[in-house]
Amino acid sequence: MQTLELRGVGKRFGALQVLKEIDIRIEQGEFAAIVGPSGCGKSTALRMFAGLENPSEGQALADGVPIEGPSPARMLIFQEHALYPWSTVEDNVGLGLELAGVPKAERIRRVNEVLEKVNLGGFNRYYPSQLSGGMKQRASIARALVMDPDVLLLDEPYGALDALTRLSMQNELLDIWSGSGKTMLLITHDIDEALYLADKIYVMSARPGQIVETIRIDQPRPRDRSSEAFAEHRRNIMRLLGLED
Amino acid sequence: MNNRLRNIWRPLWPFLTAALTLLLLLQLGHLRTPIVIPSISAVFARLGDELADAAFWHSLGASLYRLGIGFPIACFLGGLLGLLAGLSRSFAVYLRSLIGILQSIPPITWLPFLVILYGFGDVPIITIIVIASFFPMALSVMNGTEGVSHTHIEVAKVLGAKKGQLLRKVYLPETLPAFITGAQVAFGNAWRSLIAGEMVGSAAVGLGFAISFSGEVADMEGVIMYIIVIGAIATFLDHFVLEMLKRRLLRWRYIKGGGDR
Ligand SMILES: Nc1ncnc2c1ncn2[C@@H]1O[C@H](COP(=O)(O)OP(=O)(O)O)[C@@H](O)[C@H]1O
Ligand SMILES: [Mg+2]
Repeated sequence: MQTLELRGVGKRFGALQVLKEIDIRIEQGEFAAIVGPSGCGKSTALRMFAGLENPSEGQALADGVPIEGPSPARMLIFQEHALYPWSTVEDNVGLGLELAGVPKAERIRRVNEVLEKVNLGGFNRYYPSQLSGGMKQRASIARALVMDPDVLLLDEPYGALDALTRLSMQNELLDIWSGSGKTMLLITHDIDEALYLADKIYVMSARPGQIVETIRIDQPRPRDRSSEAFAEHRRNIMRLLGLED
Repeated sequence: MNNRLRNIWRPLWPFLTAALTLLLLLQLGHLRTPIVIPSISAVFARLGDELADAAFWHSLGASLYRLGIGFPIACFLGGLLGLLAGLSRSFAVYLRSLIGILQSIPPITWLPFLVILYGFGDVPIITIIVIASFFPMALSVMNGTEGVSHTHIEVAKVLGAKKGQLLRKVYLPETLPAFITGAQVAFGNAWRSLIAGEMVGSAAVGLGFAISFSGEVADMEGVIMYIIVIGAIATFLDHFVLEMLKRRLLRWRYIKGGGDR
């Protein structure tokens, strides 16, 4: 399993400074979240761990080793499910294994296993267009899980879902994570989602994105969204984001 | 009517009514000037005779042979060039200019040049089929490749795809609709230049040659029969064969949506 670290990271796109002096470290098996205003560079930071973006300054490290590119050990789950519309659920979910040359029988066995895990058992032959929003995102999580990665990177995975679906997906995500030892990094604009799921929340400022606060949440799970501690944290984060005095 | 029958009937009836309209016009022409314009029944009787004649099949075979070589070459060449242009911006600019120039020269214009170069026969005709039909394919595939979703590419990269795998697993399936649209437009061009090439006379056999020969001997029955044959074959190949291929290859597009969108 892997630790994730950004060490003194800055990022510019041309003249646009997106990230500035970011220092974060996520331990093995930890569940971390990043919240921050839209456009502050959250996705950019996450994409560095996925190996899709390079820092302009500083280093992005996995297990202390600089990240050179994508790795099957670190899976990114995209904001919009990003399933291939021309492939069935089974083929979408099995893609990573297929690319790695895993034989078909073994592939299907593992795909079925992971589809069961995300409550999509039996939907093998469906095309993405035949699935609801929540099911699509489940399939996209399955596509990452089937690789059995050390790290799951989630970029606002439930942003496009309705509130009720989102709540049940959050519980499903906890089930997937608990006891797996996987390191999780979740980006969300939903403060409650971060508070409900994460051990540690990084609060980022508007562009250029900087970490303004790191908040540890020690409440045991499942957490009570209406508890006083929860409300206290929520107020604190809202204040840090300038949404409340 | 059961479902299967309806699926065949639905795309068919507009063609049948359109064909009927044209035949009706012919019949009206016949009623006005019966000496020049033959009746529908005479034309179809002639078609029946020709179908029993080996010479007819020989000329049909010659035309389809040229199409069968020229059209796939054009599709392959156009697809390849379009793919390259979709991946490289500078090549795209070059290809667009080249196509711009080629489009302003009617393909048939190349025939004398090609006849001097290769002599009479199949090669000049096949070559103008390629010239006339590679570029709709190239343009369509170029646009399709430029439009490949960046996220779809990144998904494959994260899952460990190498260059060749990206091509096979993302670029090809995502540009497949563009390939098929390109092939459909290219087919029309290929067919027109095939018949034109045969008519202008680079060959002594073929549907185009047969119709222009009928014209020279003032055989109106033959002329009209060949117009019908040429139109029917192209309509069948384009709207039924290519369309069915499209529905088979792009099954995911025609599947009924469930879920919430
Ligand atoms: N490849 C890129 N080229 C240029 N600008 C980019 C690129 N990727 C992101 N940006 C810009 O960087 C800023 C931060 O983007 P992003 O990390 O997606 O923000 P967030 O996920 O926090 O909303 C935005 O202003 C965006 O336009
Ligand atoms: Mg983002």
